[in-house]
Amino acid sequence: MTLALIVGVLVAGGVYLVLQREMLRIVFGFILLSHAVNVLIFAAGGADRRNQPLGDDPDPLITADPLPQAFVLTAIVIALAITIYMLTLAIVGRKDDDTADRSDTARADHGAIEDPLDIDEIARAHGLAPEPAPRGEA
Amino acid sequence: MLAVLLGLAVLLAAVAPFLGRHAGRPGGWPLAAGLLALALWVGLAPPPDGTSWYLPWIPSLDVGLHLRFDGLSWVFLLLVLGVGGAVLAYSARYLKRGPHPGFYGLMTAFAAAMTGLVLADDVILLFVMWEFTTVCSFFLIARTSPQAQAPAVRTFLVTVGGGLCLLGAAIAAVVRTGTTQLSAILADPVWSQDSTFAAVIAVLIAVAAFTKSAQFPFHAWLPDAMVAPTPVSAYLHAAAMVKAGIYLLLRFSPAMSDVLTWNVLLITIGLITTVMGAVFALQRNDLKELLAYSTVSQLGLIVATIGVGTQAALAAATLHTMAHALFKSAAFMLAGVIDHQAGTRDIRTLAGVGRAMPWTSVMLVLAAASMAGLPPLLGFISKESILDAMLAGPGAGWLVAGIAALGAVFTFAYCARMVLRPLPGVRPASLSGMSEGGFWLILPAALPAVLGVLLGPAAWLLDTLTSAGATAASGHDVHSHLTLWHGLTPALFLSAAVYTVGALVVWRAAAVDRLLDRQLFPFTGVEAVAAWQRGTVAFGARVGDLTRADAPTRHLAVPVIGIGVLAVAGLVGVTGLGDVRDTSRPLDWVLLGLIAVGVLGAVTIRSRIGALAVIGVAGFAVTLLFFTLGAADVALTQLLVEILTVVVAVLLLRRLPRGFRRAPRPRVVLTAVIAVAGGLAAAVGTFALTGRRDLSAAGEHFLLNAPDDTGGSNVVNTILVDYRALDTLGELTVLGIAGVVIYVLLESARALPLQYRDPQPVQQVPSSSPLIDTQTNGVFNRTFARLGMPLLLLFSIYLLLRGHQNPGGGFIGALVAASAFALAYLAASSDTARRASYFRLIGSGVLIATVTGLLGFLEGSFLKPLHVDIGNLHLTSAVLFDVGVYLAVIGVVVAALDLLGGWPAPKHPTGGPGADAADPPPDPSPPDREPWPEPVTTGAPTKEDA
Repeated sequence: MTLALIVGVLVAGGVYLVLQREMLRIVFGFILLSHAVNVLIFAAGGADRRNQPLGDDPDPLITADPLPQAFVLTAIVIALAITIYMLTLAIVGRKDDDTADRSDTARADHGAIEDPLDIDEIARAHGLAPEPAPRGEA
Repeated sequence: MLAVLLGLAVLLAAVAPFLGRHAGRPGGWPLAAGLLALALWVGLAPPPDGTSWYLPWIPSLDVGLHLRFDGLSWVFLLLVLGVGGAVLAYSARYLKRGPHPGFYGLMTAFAAAMTGLVLADDVILLFVMWEFTTVCSFFLIARTSPQAQAPAVRTFLVTVGGGLCLLGAAIAAVVRTGTTQLSAILADPVWSQDSTFAAVIAVLIAVAAFTKSAQFPFHAWLPDAMVAPTPVSAYLHAAAMVKAGIYLLLRFSPAMSDVLTWNVLLITIGLITTVMGAVFALQRNDLKELLAYSTVSQLGLIVATIGVGTQAALAAATLHTMAHALFKSAAFMLAGVIDHQAGTRDIRTLAGVGRAMPWTSVMLVLAAASMAGLPPLLGFISKESILDAMLAGPGAGWLVAGIAALGAVFTFAYCARMVLRPLPGVRPASLSGMSEGGFWLILPAALPAVLGVLLGPAAWLLDTLTSAGATAASGHDVHSHLTLWHGLTPALFLSAAVYTVGALVVWRAAAVDRLLDRQLFPFTGVEAVAAWQRGTVAFGARVGDLTRADAPTRHLAVPVIGIGVLAVAGLVGVTGLGDVRDTSRPLDWVLLGLIAVGVLGAVTIRSRIGALAVIGVAGFAVTLLFFTLGAADVALTQLLVEILTVVVAVLLLRRLPRGFRRAPRPRVVLTAVIAVAGGLAAAVGTFALTGRRDLSAAGEHFLLNAPDDTGGSNVVNTILVDYRALDTLGELTVLGIAGVVIYVLLESARALPLQYRDPQPVQQVPSSSPLIDTQTNGVFNRTFARLGMPLLLLFSIYLLLRGHQNPGGGFIGALVAASAFALAYLAASSDTARRASYFRLIGSGVLIATVTGLLGFLEGSFLKPLHVDIGNLHLTSAVLFDVGVYLAVIGVVVAALDLLGGWPAPKHPTGGPGADAADPPPDPSPPDREPWPEPVTTGAPTKEDA
């Protein structure tokens, strides 16, 4: 019951933040959502047995399920990596971390050359790609 | 022998790029010698029919590297290797001086792929080789020039479409007959028993062959591909690409020649193509284009003959395939010589070639005569036998032969046009530089032309080859007896008629030219393919538009709403859940309260740093929750991750505004409604679907067996490094990639400038205050870090090593070590120094984990842990694996600290809104590969203390 409520609260907060405009809030929402999923995985393992799965002879009747723990442990570290990546995305915007700014309409207003993520332009700036050649026809 | 043969061909292809690079264009000689030696080997000492070789490839699907040798393989191997050798020898003189690694590599790879194709006795292998030839031709055409890219893509699209048909046919046949072995599939009785199935497969195979052999309506790509250099065209037209389609048709003939759909389809399309191609060829003035349409026409003739399906027809098709390979390769290479020497291949411009280039001209006349089917050349014999077979064929044989003869009339005409226009006369002033090509340039082109002459009177030399090919193609013993003179047959009279009418057309050439000098169809094939290509791309864009938005909200809302729908469906549909158990403890309610506070704060607070702090409340509460749930390891990990997240996030906050903007009310309400609905759905789903059963079987297994299996008593850690180490290895890799991606992202995209918009905090500190000096005000932090960092690192290693038995392990140890680096980072007085080679850390971590995994092969499988007992000490390779985890995780976090915190200093938008901030001016010299200069200190600290 409590775990279900915790999942609900975390999901509600996470979804709300994820649907906001600022990338930082989206990252925060993502953090809350990953908490929610981790708690959900624990709930799936069962919360009525809560002894640590340690020692040479754990009692299956009272010891917590170790499998969800292993899953969640991995998930936490992966989530850290993804969080850092998303945080990085927050600082490569045009003005700030406003994601609405990166919509197609906003991009059209600014002109494509202003696009900070224009791969071709970046490649050219680094001398990795030739200047656009006129497309030949057969 | 088959494996050796294919292996040698592949070896040549592997050596070719090096030869091409270092030997330049003469690199073609040894390669040509190699291919010709292979051809000679196969030609003189063919392995016995039915020789096969097998190597398992995908045993679970019963797909294997089945090679098999029979008459058809023999014929086509000789063509592929022989013509390939001639073309490569020709290239050694034709190409420009200089390195040609790509050309030679691709040409020999092409030969190897064709060798594999004609030897393949597994339909999947056949398909793979088929696609290899497609890929090779694509690159050979595309690499020519930027203008060649569009034709290359069109060629690719058409032939890949055919390849998909072949794949469909192959899979259907495999499913139906239960084997992937080609010879077994062809011998299966299903072809005669199930006529519908046979018809469907016949259509698929035919379409595949039509695309490859440039048959109507897929013919457009072949003339389109003329942009490729002449050697490529010669090979493509004479022996390689288009002959793959002919090979496929012949190969499937034993099963298909009694399927009516097959006969009708092949004959119809073949005849349409042969007449159409010949008329188009008569229209062209570019020698290469003329030859290209001639190929289309000749292949149409062969396809129609295969469609007739009798033994005589298949023998004739085999013979004409050989004859065509000889005269077409010669004609192409000679056209190339003229182009090479005269600088043009337009027959309206060319004149007097006969006197200027006598040898080339003689050879061109021979090749053209063979193509026109004049006696006593090989082309005459093959065309006669085709007409014979058509006349004797079932159904309206005279009609079929009549249409084929009509095609032959035009063929005669364009062959005459090809030699009568450029060769005679006096050369114009514009061609004064035209002279005979060198001996070594003409020789490879002359050889097939001369062979075409010699093999006419000596046609009996080809008896064995033709018989073997026809036997394999028909499934019955065929004995061909080829002679130049075979009496006054109807075919001979037909030929005579062809020559007469053809000569008439030649005589009235001017009138014919006027008649044909216009567009015969409202649009060309190339335009049709291009339009189809554009349409596909436009359609894809239209489909993509549905989800094409860079703002994430649109994408993120979809799954949430989907979960809501799922929850409603679940409420209605799911029944029979287990009993509710009381899984709650009193402390849980407290934690629920804390989490709710944290979430509420994170949702409402509009200061960025405030939100970051408050989101930590939820995080720490979840950490406590994990601990009370009996997961010490998980709780420790979560705790450390919380800390590190805050450190990294604070580094980034320097570049962002202080607060979030106020969202418009409708958006707040809408997102809140979606959020509450999502939360409700999640809560109800969790309540309904979890906590209603006993310990899972897997969990019980791990609890009971882990200590004995692994020697570790921390069950969670044993799962990570022993039982499910592959998952962990995958995770490490993902982590490593995340580190690389962050680096790449910051390298390629400009990071926002540091935000020093608000000068107040700086001004509040008097310039005489010691706080203004980062060297002195950080002394406490630095001292603490100097003492604390080694201790933390030691502690992290301790945690790593004890992880197998007690709470700890690679992840936790690494996070502690990363915290130590974070501490050192925060305490440092400047953010410009590069601290650690984190990529090496990541790489060595993944490497150690992988090598440990490979060690597992000693015990039988990847990542299987090894155990050694030395006295009382139990050692296991799982701990070594954990060291890999440890290094990789440290590497990623340190990468994040370094990249986001200081080095490389972020790049700045040129003239953007940040330009007025206290940042260095934009570097005027692009491209900028140097690290950004250090921020200028204008009263602001170079680094904010977090």
